Amino acid sequence: MNPAEELKYLLPNSVVSVGIQTNKPLAVIRKEDFLKVAEKVKELGFDSLSVITGVDRVDRIEVIYNLFSYKKKQNLALKVVLDHRSPEVDSVISIWKVADWLERETYDLVGVKFNGHPDLKRILLPEGWIGHPLRKDYDMNTEQFVTIGEDGEDIVSFDGSNLLRRK
Amino acid sequence: MWTGDIMITNPNAYDLIVAILNAIGVYNIILGFFENMGMEFVLRAIIVLVEVAAVVAFALVTVMFLSWLERKMFAVVQARYGPMVTGPRGLFQPIADGIKLLGKEDIIPATADRWIFTIAPYIVFVSVLLVYIPLPFGESLILSDLRVGLLYIIAISAITPVSILLAGWASNNKYSLMGAIRAVAQDISYTIPLAITAIAVVVFVGSLSTVDIVNAQQGYWFGVIPKWFIFLQPLGFILFLIACIAEMGRIPFDFQESEQELVAGFFTEYSGMKFAMFFLAEYAHMFAVSGIIVTLFLGGWTGPAIPLIPIQITSLVYFIIKTYAVIFFAMWLRDTVPRVRIDQLLHIGWKIMIPLALLNLLVAAFVVTAGVI
Amino acid sequence: METETLLLNVGPVHPSTHGVLRFKLRMDGEIIRDCQIVVGYLHRGTEKFGEMKTYLQFIPYTDRLDYIAAMPNNYAFVKAVEELAGIEVPLRAEYIRVLVMELNRIINHLVMMGSLLLDLGGSTMIMYGFRERENALQLYESLCGARMTFNYIRPGGVREDLPEGFIPKLNEFIKDMDMRIVDYEELVNGNEIFLMRTKNIGVISAEEAINYGMTGPSMRGSGVDYDIRKVEPYSIYSDLDFKACMRMEGDSYARYLVRVDEMRESLHILRQIVDKLPEGKTINQRYSFAPNTGAPSAVTSYFPRIFTPAEGEVYSRIEAPKGELGFFVASDGTTKPYRVKIRSPSFCNLVALPKMVIGLKIPDLIAAFGTIDIVLGDVDR
Repeated sequence: MNPAEELKYLLPNSVVSVGIQTNKPLAVIRKEDFLKVAEKVKELGFDSLSVITGVDRVDRIEVIYNLFSYKKKQNLALKVVLDHRSPEVDSVISIWKVADWLERETYDLVGVKFNGHPDLKRILLPEGWIGHPLRKDYDMNTEQFVTIGEDGEDIVSFDGSNLLRRK
Repeated sequence: MWTGDIMITNPNAYDLIVAILNAIGVYNIILGFFENMGMEFVLRAIIVLVEVAAVVAFALVTVMFLSWLERKMFAVVQARYGPMVTGPRGLFQPIADGIKLLGKEDIIPATADRWIFTIAPYIVFVSVLLVYIPLPFGESLILSDLRVGLLYIIAISAITPVSILLAGWASNNKYSLMGAIRAVAQDISYTIPLAITAIAVVVFVGSLSTVDIVNAQQGYWFGVIPKWFIFLQPLGFILFLIACIAEMGRIPFDFQESEQELVAGFFTEYSGMKFAMFFLAEYAHMFAVSGIIVTLFLGGWTGPAIPLIPIQITSLVYFIIKTYAVIFFAMWLRDTVPRVRIDQLLHIGWKIMIPLALLNLLVAAFVVTAGVI
Repeated sequence: METETLLLNVGPVHPSTHGVLRFKLRMDGEIIRDCQIVVGYLHRGTEKFGEMKTYLQFIPYTDRLDYIAAMPNNYAFVKAVEELAGIEVPLRAEYIRVLVMELNRIINHLVMMGSLLLDLGGSTMIMYGFRERENALQLYESLCGARMTFNYIRPGGVREDLPEGFIPKLNEFIKDMDMRIVDYEELVNGNEIFLMRTKNIGVISAEEAINYGMTGPSMRGSGVDYDIRKVEPYSIYSDLDFKACMRMEGDSYARYLVRVDEMRESLHILRQIVDKLPEGKTINQRYSFAPNTGAPSAVTSYFPRIFTPAEGEVYSRIEAPKGELGFFVASDGTTKPYRVKIRSPSFCNLVALPKMVIGLKIPDLIAAFGTIDIVLGDVDR
C-alpha cells in the first residue's frame, strides 16, 4: 500500500482523492485539515520536505508538497487546492523547519498566504514590490525600479524617480 | 681595531669611517681643517649623518626589495608568475607601486583630527627606523653600540602600539578604533613572551649590548657546530620566532588585514602616501625584527672568514643571508597556513607562550648559575 | 550591567560571501545573538521564463543556476522532462552524461575547498584548485564548446558525441588529480590552524539537518547516510561501484572532509566509466533528425520543433554536487511548460545557517558558511 493510500485509510475525511504524480503517489487534501494531515504524515515517517510549489491554474491555486522519508525510502506528494481570490493555507513550519523559506518564496512569487508563519515577508523580491510574478495575470508590462536606501533597505518605485540616473 | 694609538674594543661605524679615512691618510687633514675653524663637532656631525644616511638608504632599498620578494614568492608558491612586466622579472614593481600611491588624492576625513592623522604614519615609520640603531650589521658596522641595546630595542618596539592607537583614534571611525584596539591587544600580548625570552638570552651573555651578544656566539664546538644560541635554547628560539611573527602582524596572526573580518583595520581612512608609509613601516619592521632574531639566536654576523676579503664585508654578507633566511621562513608561513581567530591568538599568547617563556628563563638561569655555560 | 546589542551588516558586497548575500547580525560584543539572511539580489526570474520558453529553449537557463558546476542543472531538468514524456535514452548517452556530471562534481568541490581556505586566510589552495579546474574546463571546451554554461544535455541523450582524443586526455586528468588530492590533504587536512578554525564550529545534528532541509555533502557530514545516487538510482548509477561518503561529527571539518572523499569517489567512478563506455548512439533517434548524409556516425541532435509531452506533473531530483537539486515541471500539453519550479540545494541549505552560528563569533560564521557551499545563482534563481 503506497503512502497516499495509507493516508486515505488513516484519515478518510481529509483526503479528497488519491492519484499519481508521474511516478510518486499523490494525495489531494482538504485545505481545512491540512495541518492535521501534515502532522500525521510526519508521524508516518516523512521527515523531509523537499519542495513547496505553488501553481496558478487560472480558476484555482494549487500548492503541492513533495515529501520524502529517510527511514522508509518512500516518496509522497500532497496537494491542496485553494481559492484564487484569497489563497490561504496553514503553515507547516512547526513540523518541518525548511518550510520557513519555502513558504516565504511561495508567498512572494505566487501570493499564497500561510497562516501561522512567524515572519511571512518577501524573500526574493524586495519588500515594496507590487504583484506576484508567477501568477498568470501578472502585469508584465509595468516596470518597477528598485534601489537601495540609506538604511540598507530596498526602495521600489514605478517611475524611476528613486534612481540616481533617470531613464 | 687599531686607530692611531688606541685599541678600541667593540668599534662602531663611526670608528670604522675614521679608520678608513686614516688609512687613506686624509683624516688628519680634514680634522685640521675643521679645527682651524673651531668646529670639530661639524666633522663629527657630518660623519654621523653619512652613516645614518647609509642606514636609512639601506632600509628603504631593503623595503622595496622585500615587497617585490614577497609578491614573487607568494606567486611561485601558488604556481603562477607574479609581477613580470615592470622591469626585468618585475623588479621595478615597488617603484611603480610607489609612483601610483604618490599620485593618489590625499584624503583626510572632515571629522578627523588633522594633525595626529597626518603624523601618525610617520611616527610608526620613524619608530621602526629607530630599531636599526643598535642592530649589528657586521663587525663594526653598527650605528651605535648602546650598552643597553636590547632593552632599547624592546622599548622602542613598544612605541608601535601607541602610534597605531593614534592612527585609529585620529580617523574618527568606530571601526578603525576597534581595529586599532585589537592590534594593540595583539602587540602587547606578544611583547611579553618576546621580552622574557630575550632576557633568557641575556642571562647567558651577561650583557644587554647587541655586540656582546654576537661576540658570545663566536667559536665552534667540536670545530663544526657554531656556538649559536639556537642550539643552546631551542625552545626560546621557537617562542621568540612566534612572538616576532605576531608582532609583525603577519599570517597566521594577521586578522588586521583580513577583509573577512568586518572590523576594518586601523588604516582604512588612509590613502596615498600615508597608506604607503604604513606598508613601508611593516616591511622595515620585518627586516629589523628578523635582524634581531639573527642577532640573538643565529649568531649575528659570525661566519667563517674568507681570506683576502675584509671581515667587515663578509660579516655584512653573512648577516644579510641569515636575515633573509628568517624572512623567507616568515613569508613561506604566510603563503601556506590560514589565519588564527583573535581569541585563539590571545589564548596562545597569554596561556601557552608566557608559561613556556618563564620556564625557558628558569632553565637558563639555573644552567648559568650552576656554572655549566 | 545593561548592554545593548549591536546591529552589524555583512554584505551584500563583501569578499567572502560568495556572491551578493547579506547577513543582518545582532551582536553582543563578539558573539552573534541573531542572524538574518537577506537574499534576492541575484533574482532573475528563471521560473517565469520557464513558462515563456519551450522545453528546449529553457535548457540554457538552467545552466545559469549553479554556474560553477552546470551539467547537473541541465540534467535535472532534462530528467524531469524525460520522466514526464517517457523518453528513453541510449546507453552510451547515459554513460557520457554520468561522465560529465562526475567531472563537474570534482570541479565544484575544488572551488569549495579553495574558497573556504581563501576565507580563512590560506590563499594557496584556491590557486591549486583553479589550476586543476583549468584542465577540466579545457576538456569541456573540447567537448561542447563552452567552459561554464554547457547546454549539453538534451532530452533523449546528449548534444554531441565525445570528440577525438577526449578519453586519453581524461585519463591524464584522472592520474594528475589523484596525485593532487594527496597534495591537498597534506596541505590542509592536518594543519593545526585549519583544525582550530573548523573543528566543532557550526555543529548541526542529523535530525536537525534533515528537518532543516539540508541535503548533500553538508548533510552527510552530520551522519545521515543518504545519497540519492544510491537510494533512488537514476541513469546508470546502479551499475557503478562507489560509496556514499559520510562523517559523523557534523562540524565544519567533517563537511570539508566529506567533500575531499567525494572527489576521490568521483575519480573512481570516472575510471569505471572510461573502462565500460559502450558504443552506440548518443541521442534517442526519435528526437534527432539525422540529415540524409549516409554517414552512420554523424548523429547530431536536431530536436523536433513541436515537442509536446503529455499533460501532468512531475518532480524529479538528482544528487547535484551541492545537494538535492529537483525540478517540478507541470505540463499542459503545449510546447511550453505550464510551471517550472526549481528546488535548489543552496537555498534550502541556507535555512539552517542561523541555527548553526548563533553563539559563535564572526570568523566562525565565515568558516561555517564556507562549508555549506552555496552559490548565489542557485539561491536566487
